[in-house]
Amino acid sequence: MITLNGIRNGLWCAVAFGIVACASTPMPVEKLAIAKTSLERAEQAQAAQFAQIELNSARNKYAAAQAAVDKKDAEVAARLADQADVDAQLAESTARAKQQEQLVNEMDAGLRDLRNETLRSSPGAAPQVPQPATTPPQP
Amino acid sequence: MRPIKATWTVIAAAALLGIAGCETAPETSGVLEEARSAVNAAENDPNVTKYAPTELDRARKLLTNAEGAAKEKGAKDKTAAHYAYLATQMARISQQRAQEQVATARVKSGETERQKILLEARSNEANQALAAAQQARSEALSAKAQVEQTEAEKQRLAAELENMQASQTSRGIVLTLDDVLFDTGKAQLKSGADRSIEQIAAFLKENPDRRVQVEGFTDSQGSDDFNLELSQSRADAVAMAIIRRGIDAERVRALGYGEGYPVASNANAGSRQLNRRVEIIVSNENAEIPGRASAGQP
Repeated sequence: MITLNGIRNGLWCAVAFGIVACASTPMPVEKLAIAKTSLERAEQAQAAQFAQIELNSARNKYAAAQAAVDKKDAEVAARLADQADVDAQLAESTARAKQQEQLVNEMDAGLRDLRNETLRSSPGAAPQVPQPATTPPQP
Repeated sequence: MRPIKATWTVIAAAALLGIAGCETAPETSGVLEEARSAVNAAENDPNVTKYAPTELDRARKLLTNAEGAAKEKGAKDKTAAHYAYLATQMARISQQRAQEQVATARVKSGETERQKILLEARSNEANQALAAAQQARSEALSAKAQVEQTEAEKQRLAAELENMQASQTSRGIVLTLDDVLFDTGKAQLKSGADRSIEQIAAFLKENPDRRVQVEGFTDSQGSDDFNLELSQSRADAVAMAIIRRGIDAERVRALGYGEGYPVASNANAGSRQLNRRVEIIVSNENAEIPGRASAGQP
């Protein structure tokens, strides 16, 4: 696996840098690609609106990882790419959870209205305001 | 927009790299501690074990990696801090994913609840319609029963009228009140007539299309003028009694015939008593009461 990755990265390096000699440690291209995908997923999940801090952290780390690649610092680039990936995943899941939570709240409000509506339209039914749980015990 | 963003990104990257430059400085043990508590919190969340076991597993493995690196290379190792950070984030991800699943399940059950409420409302409406229909039916039934009862009452009254010394003639039903209901020579109706008057009034109320004619008669004793006046007064008294019980005066006519139209000979006391009388003629339905035939006049 490592050797296979190494060969592939090596080949990629050769293609990318042409005559320039490869760095001793291969650049974490795959990790960067994964982080980029996660970032895109987070953006699609409206993380910019619902998980801004997490998304910003992911973007910054991704940018830093790219900068590390430019500086040929593969080790730092790999770490930053991994961190950008989990930050983006956290941004995405947080955004999704918040949106779903919002849906639940809207649904609850809708159900409350619906209950009141149906109670109002049926005469002799229970009053609109639900009875408090602390009703005195019947003799 | 783009160049500004790009510039900003470069600045941010530079800042981060600056931090990365002195990465070794912060205590890894603090990051490791944070990772432990994050994974622990996720493990203790029943929703995580239910909805995000894969993410939790990943977080655990990352924590194990961090612990291993810290043990091998010391608490200040970069790799240990890195894995600790990944473990922390992964634990948080597991909790967010679980939370999303819980919310999704609630939305789903809310939809079911909504359908249930709508269904109940519809069946309530149906029940109300059914109850309304049943009430309408029972009202119709009771109205019919009332009509039948009214009809029966009418027939009962008619039958009662027939039973009171009444006889059906071509002029209508004729009821005769005898002279014991008046004092001799007086036109004051005695209370003994109340029941008969009551029944006639009730019958007239139930049969608004019928009229009544009250005719007074005397025997041949006394002057014709006196007898005519007395018979008229007695007829008037009976008519007034009927009117006082709520019958329109227009439906009641009073006539005095004096000693005319005797029903007996006037030859003895018994037959004279028969002639002293008041006759109440109730018209047939919607019919005028025909006058007495002039042939009967003495």
